[in-house]
Amino acid sequence: MQHADNVRVGPSEGEATTKVEGRYLYCVADSGEKVSLGPIGMNGEEVYTVPYKDICAVVHDCPAEPYQSADAEVVKTWVIAHQRVVDKAWEKWGTVLPLGFDTIIRDQAGSDPQQNVENWLAADYQTIKRKMETVRGKAEYGVQVFWQPRLIARHIAETSAEIGGLEEDIKSKPRGLAYMYRQKLENALKRELEAKADQCFKDFYSRIKKHVCDLRVEKTKKADNDRQMIMNLSCLVDGDKSTDLGEELEGIDKMEGFSVRFTGPWPPYSFVGAS
Amino acid sequence: MEPTRDSHATLVDLLDRILDKGLVIYADIIVSVAGIPLIGVNLRAALAGMETMLEYGVMQEWDERIRAWERERRGEKAVSMVSGDGDGPVDATAFAG
Repeated sequence: MQHADNVRVGPSEGEATTKVEGRYLYCVADSGEKVSLGPIGMNGEEVYTVPYKDICAVVHDCPAEPYQSADAEVVKTWVIAHQRVVDKAWEKWGTVLPLGFDTIIRDQAGSDPQQNVENWLAADYQTIKRKMETVRGKAEYGVQVFWQPRLIARHIAETSAEIGGLEEDIKSKPRGLAYMYRQKLENALKRELEAKADQCFKDFYSRIKKHVCDLRVEKTKKADNDRQMIMNLSCLVDGDKSTDLGEELEGIDKMEGFSVRFTGPWPPYSFVGAS
Repeated sequence: MEPTRDSHATLVDLLDRILDKGLVIYADIIVSVAGIPLIGVNLRAALAGMETMLEYGVMQEWDERIRAWERERRGEKAVSMVSGDGDGPVDATAFAG
């Protein structure tokens, strides 16, 4: 789908020649200001605010269709532009509730999209204000903990009596039986690894929890060959507490066989949704 | 350790947030974006193959279990907050899920 780059409909221009029936939403910000942020949006669109009382939506004008492309590079450019606008608003007004990619408010019989944005802010005003209070002065950080399963498994094999015994058994058995014992050994190791992951998770969770206001456990992801992600958290952290969190994570990162990925600060994407 | 937000190294982290999260509007004035998750998946696949979940059988079940454990803990917290002091109305949706 094409977006006409040459059509710029700023807040002050009024009626455009091309019908613009949508407002792309970047975030809601902690300000009642009506202001233009310039052509910093996706595809260079003019970004401006739609205020309601002491809050505003940060938007650009667009057709009432989702932005879509099969070209990963194009989508990547959009996603980065989306984030750049949210960052700009975050920097300018201090507290923002970011929206996910491609949230577009359209017109409706009897009301234009601008009016619909205002109506939405008015209808959700209490919820938005409450969410703003929960994230005020805070930022989101991503914490991912990896381990090297082979290294950890070796430690387990060295310390577990059951597994040590099985290893001895394999050595003394004829080939066919040894195979069976090897299966048994693998199962035992798998169980021990899971138990160990469980224990590590709970330990790290409680250590990290001390330094954050809120946290979400995300799905773990596939990592590279010799590493496995055992923990993926989104943490909401008070402005001055990120150093403490960093220190705690450094402790985990230094453990043999473990490593930590620490990203941020992000706008609080994970803490403004329904859950 | 210091957090990083280098735009190249953390693109996948940004995608995880921007494609799946953020403030949600429940209203019929929102343009339907049914095709969007597909974009997200394709893009992720193209970028890093990161969308693949844990290796099946090995840790998948554990991952589900550990997240259920966390939800339960959060659930308990939410319940105690709801039944706690009555300073103002409680929005049930804040505790859903």
